[in-house]
Amino acid sequence: MPAYNTIAFHADRCDMCGACMTACAQAKSASDSPRRARIEVLADGAGSFGLAMCRQCADPECVQCCPAAALRKDAETGIVEWDHDRCVNCLLCTVACSYAGISLDEAVGHVVKCDHCGGDPACVRACKTGALEYLTTARIYNEVGALEDLFVPGLAGCQGCNTELLMRHTLRRVGPNTVLAAPPGCVPGMGAVGYNGMTGTKVPVFHPLLTNTAPMLAGIKRFYKRKGREVTALALAGDGGAADVGFQSLSGAAERGEEMLFLVIDNEGYMNTGMQRSSCTPYGAWTTTTPVGRESPGKSQDAKNLPLLMVGHRCAYVATASAAFMTDFYAKLDHALEASRHGFAYLHVYSPCTTGWRFPSRQNIEVARKAVESNFVMLWEYSPEAGLRLTHPIDDPAPVKEYLEAVGKYRHLTPGQIAHIEHHIADNVAAIKRQATAPL
Amino acid sequence: MSAAAPARRFLVCDGNEAAALAVALARVDMVAVYPITPQSSLVEYLAKYIADGRLQAELVNAEGEHSVLSVLQGAALAGARTFTATSGPGLAFMFEPYLRTPGMRLPIVMSIVTRDTLTPQSVWGGHQDAMSVRDVGWVQMYCETVQEVLDTVIIAYRVAERHDVMLPVNVCHDGNYLSYGTARIEPPDQNVVDTFLGTPDVNWHVALDPERPMAVDPLTGGAGGAGPAMFVRYRRGQCAGMRDALDAIREAHEEWGRLTGRHHAPLIERYRMDDAEFSIVTLGSMTGAAKDAIDEARERGRRVGLVKVKTFRPFPAAAIAEALRGHGAFGVVDRSVDFAWNCGPLYREVLTSLHGITPAAPSQSFIGGLAGADLTVEHFESVIDTVGQLQNAGARDTVWLNAQD
Repeated sequence: MPAYNTIAFHADRCDMCGACMTACAQAKSASDSPRRARIEVLADGAGSFGLAMCRQCADPECVQCCPAAALRKDAETGIVEWDHDRCVNCLLCTVACSYAGISLDEAVGHVVKCDHCGGDPACVRACKTGALEYLTTARIYNEVGALEDLFVPGLAGCQGCNTELLMRHTLRRVGPNTVLAAPPGCVPGMGAVGYNGMTGTKVPVFHPLLTNTAPMLAGIKRFYKRKGREVTALALAGDGGAADVGFQSLSGAAERGEEMLFLVIDNEGYMNTGMQRSSCTPYGAWTTTTPVGRESPGKSQDAKNLPLLMVGHRCAYVATASAAFMTDFYAKLDHALEASRHGFAYLHVYSPCTTGWRFPSRQNIEVARKAVESNFVMLWEYSPEAGLRLTHPIDDPAPVKEYLEAVGKYRHLTPGQIAHIEHHIADNVAAIKRQATAPL
Repeated sequence: MSAAAPARRFLVCDGNEAAALAVALARVDMVAVYPITPQSSLVEYLAKYIADGRLQAELVNAEGEHSVLSVLQGAALAGARTFTATSGPGLAFMFEPYLRTPGMRLPIVMSIVTRDTLTPQSVWGGHQDAMSVRDVGWVQMYCETVQEVLDTVIIAYRVAERHDVMLPVNVCHDGNYLSYGTARIEPPDQNVVDTFLGTPDVNWHVALDPERPMAVDPLTGGAGGAGPAMFVRYRRGQCAGMRDALDAIREAHEEWGRLTGRHHAPLIERYRMDDAEFSIVTLGSMTGAAKDAIDEARERGRRVGLVKVKTFRPFPAAAIAEALRGHGAFGVVDRSVDFAWNCGPLYREVLTSLHGITPAAPSQSFIGGLAGADLTVEHFESVIDTVGQLQNAGARDTVWLNAQD
């Protein structure tokens, strides 16, 4: 049985502006009257809001009670469909539904209900606060769920690490016709390449040097292409090797448009070797080589914006992603994979490190989410044809203090350092937005 | 009516063009390049051959030598026959992947157009670059003439790809003197090279191929378990490949001689050694002037001979001991410096190969031809005079040729 997309409602973000209802009425009934909408936001009497709308139930009461078989659950889309030709206008469904999701529209004289607008719901588009969200995570389950996990069981990541999650999801999506490069770092550190003659994956995998991941993959890819074989060249690299000692070779491969998917898992330092500073380590952060002491308050420079530098190479595709936004990640993985068939595709995934960043292992995804919601990191994608586009714009960001307080490596920060970080975020947001609106 | 013998074809070119010609004849699949003096014209020739369709190969203009060799490692792991060339600082920058290539048993062929190393800043010939990487595990052969450059690059593929060797090979030719010096050469016919090299068989033992998935170079070693013994097996296998390369080099040169009529000495060349009472040992292009000096000394009645070392890695110790034994004093002329021993590196290795042979012969280390300096017949006359007067074995200060030029 497949999983389905759904419209989620976050009551805490709703300000009852009514835009969703107006948008629905316009889209579905060519009317500006919210009374003609198939969605209704209601005060619940306890200071919050409730949503009256079809939930596209798995086992719908409306379908069960319909005497005319005018309602049915579409197994492919998951939408509960209403058939005008069969409906006898008994209105039993309106009573059966616990969510007030189907009701009589007196203007047309029959029941109406939500149909997700064919996959692009007008209400979600109209919602400015993020209270309504169209969740498409179902496609991960449907499209990837049955694909083979190509890593061995029992990779030895730290407790709560999200890198293993990213690795497994990525490789099962990219598939078996792949050569995987895992330069020194957490990915081989947890056993992806294997030990003493044994492998950690079911695809050909190798340790490049920290410095030559991209050119080694380029040699492999170019020769197979010459021989008429379509093989995916995939790198699962860390931020240190990519941004520091391996940057020259990364830049060279990007400039030449070598066809590969280069995925960087950015945990903001050399976490595998013991949490040392890299050029992707943010300002103020404690690391083992930017320790906090009487003379030093952590790292004294801002992080290098590696994905933006890759945009400067006009790669076939560049995107940032986060372990807390897997739908977004999957969409970008697809775009990157496609772009890697004709050019250099670069995917930069922000990946909090429970061990190196000093926070409880159960909070990994939460920390990743807070980074995005405070604009500490931003989710966007770029191609030379379409330019840069924010994929998850945060117009009303949470205070970055909330993010910094969740992460132990920032616990020593002074108000002055926090002000520096806030200023840096503002600069970064402005820079990305400039890119997003710049002419191609 | 007798069939006319096919007309022989000759060509006048320099050593860089000869090396490039050899690469085209070897039907290399992938060439990665980064220019550096005195190698640059070699890779320009290759780029032009590929642009003209004369060589059907993939050309990667990498952003530096480090990536050049990395690209070739990837290509070799996918099954490609590969080539590159470099010099001096380029070789130094390439060192990290260079260090790794022999252990991965990748039969990559790379010309070192030899150049003296920094510092002082120098763009001219000398063997210091190749000598600085002599103990990394690449096979290294040094050429004397332009013709030998062409032939040796082709021979290198046969050696590298032999299943009992599977090691990378450097073909060293002297910057300036061979890179730019022109001579008449006779290129072999394509079908001769095709017969000699056969189809590339590069990644039968280690591959990155979705049809044969394996982990290439997982971590190996540790304090216990299967790792340390496995690591030892890899190391010993590499040593065995190096040992077997001596035979492979001999066999390849013999077969090449049979096919082309050109019999280059594979490991060492003995020149007028049969009745020699003393000798000099040379490496690379200096040998031509040295042979002229030997001939002149012979005319004056000096019984002097010459041993040219062609294969420096693996070191042909037995052949050298055999050649020098019983022929009295010897002098070794190096084009580079062994900083640890204040002598030439070839000198030290020749001494080592004579270990245990009594009586110990008097010997002398000469260093000359650094940073492009010419080693003339006159220099070798002085070398011959010095060696001819050596009386006892024992340590002597190095003689620096060119110091008073």
